[in-house]
Amino acid sequence: MKRQQVIIGIVALVLGVLLFATPFMFIGITAVKSAAEASHLGLSLPSKWLFWENFMAVIKARNYMLLLAYFNSTVITVGAISLLAVSAAMIGYVIQRRPSKWNGFIYALILAGLMIPPAVVPTIWLLKELHLFKTLHGMILIQVAYGLSFSVLLFRSFIASIPRDLDEAAIIDGAKPWQVFFKVILPLLKPITITVVLVQSVTIFNDFTNPLYYLPGKDNVTVQLTLYNFQSQFSSQMNLLFMNILLVTIPPLIMFIFFNKQIVKGMTAGAVKG
Amino acid sequence: MASVKLKNIHKEFNGVKILKGIDLDVNDGEFCVFVGPSGCGKSTLLRIISGLDDASSGEIEIADKDVTHADPIDRGIAMVFQSYALYPHLTVRDNIGFGLSLAKRPKNEINERVNTAAKMLQLEALLDRKPKDLSGGQRQRVAIGRAIVRNPEVFLFDEPLSNLDAALRSKMRLELTELHAELNATMIYVTHDQIEAMTMADKIVVLNAGHVEQVGTPMELYHHPKTPFVAGFIGSPKMNLFEGQTAQEHGADIYGIRPEHLTLSTQTGKWQGVIKHIEHLGADVIVHIQVQALGTLVARADGDFAVTTGSEIYATPQQGREHFLSK
Repeated sequence: MKRQQVIIGIVALVLGVLLFATPFMFIGITAVKSAAEASHLGLSLPSKWLFWENFMAVIKARNYMLLLAYFNSTVITVGAISLLAVSAAMIGYVIQRRPSKWNGFIYALILAGLMIPPAVVPTIWLLKELHLFKTLHGMILIQVAYGLSFSVLLFRSFIASIPRDLDEAAIIDGAKPWQVFFKVILPLLKPITITVVLVQSVTIFNDFTNPLYYLPGKDNVTVQLTLYNFQSQFSSQMNLLFMNILLVTIPPLIMFIFFNKQIVKGMTAGAVKG
Repeated sequence: MASVKLKNIHKEFNGVKILKGIDLDVNDGEFCVFVGPSGCGKSTLLRIISGLDDASSGEIEIADKDVTHADPIDRGIAMVFQSYALYPHLTVRDNIGFGLSLAKRPKNEINERVNTAAKMLQLEALLDRKPKDLSGGQRQRVAIGRAIVRNPEVFLFDEPLSNLDAALRSKMRLELTELHAELNATMIYVTHDQIEAMTMADKIVVLNAGHVEQVGTPMELYHHPKTPFVAGFIGSPKMNLFEGQTAQEHGADIYGIRPEHLTLSTQTGKWQGVIKHIEHLGADVIVHIQVQALGTLVARADGDFAVTTGSEIYATPQQGREHFLSK
């Protein structure tokens, strides 16, 4: 490697670290400061490290609201992801394998789901009519609806790379259509299913605006909404706010670190085949 | 085992006629090969027999039962695909037993039948492997095992050897022929390779542009082709076919002589020409001769026959080996 290339590489690395690591360092440092020090919002090290005190204060705040929020967010994420993965795989399979005159219309609907921003007020009206407003299962359905288009497109392109001969071999072996899907196709969708589960679960777990609109109420709080506990018009507790951010960021971060390879694998699968 | 009867099978796709009225009888226990160039409709015909595609019109009988509108599973057939179509997530054992487990057969019966099929195909040592850990030939055997284990009335093969290299293909041809003899089953085999057709078939069906050109035993087709297409398709190198004066001299539209039925000489002969190209195959030599009156004439000679490109040569057709065909 030439010297010039080495220098460019090092500069790029330093820039990358500054760009990506600084916000995390800022969160970490602020989270362990005292309230007074944290209010300066600087990168200086704390005079006293208050990790445990701040951690317990955040957990205990508003009668252990963060723990309830973790529970609610987990229920919403697990429920929505289960529904989303199975239904998106089935829809992707049908539109990839059974071309019909409706396909153009179905694609238009899928693209509309990606491009047109959801209208909040009519959605709330619909949820109220269905008695799903302010309920966890209502929120689950909202998340499924919002994530469906993207997931269907991912599944569809992956299924295109699975040879049709496999479906036909299963039919010759006596499989009914649902058996072809569940016994032959679905097991082969593992890489893309992992990608969909990871990407969507992080999105749903981290969602701030949708629970804010569709899931009001103290008992329905989700993790991102607990950030409001430490911000108000006249005073903000920046150290606790950032400790809260730290706690809320950890689960998705762990998933990304462990499943990074799987995510990329699933995202690029089907890109060069079929 | 069973016979297969096709009556006036037509297939249209988006207004294009793929099959134009196929009538065919495949007898009980026969090894029948559909052969023809790409796009002639042979695979479509096989898929119609299997039930994967529907015929636009016509009737199909398997074992004297009308199965025209029956599901594949109710036709008593098993199929081996060109791509093997093994389920990648299942072991060899589960691949072979997949159909039986769908049919909810008892576990010990499935095991017994899978083991019998595996023994027949020398797959016993591979039963717990996944398809990705197998070679091409082994995968093909697993695909055949999956067909055997269901005891079908009719086996359907869709170009099963196309993905194998030449040496393995030759070995598998022999194995399939032995398997046919062992099972004494009705087998329908699709290929575009006339060598596979000639070496394996009891009966060859030559298809061209959606219709049957000729049906017969391999040697019938070789010795008595009824159409110029069959004459040109069966045999390698292909038969020399000439229109014009040479054919008219014999009162035919087309005159044909196979390369192996020409006698070459450097001294004398019926047609004089110049050697344009020579292909040495070891045992044989294929000589391309430019003859003034005919065009290019291809001849097969003994491998030791000493010839050089550009030299003069004479070719003479062997008596009784010439073919006189109508258009």
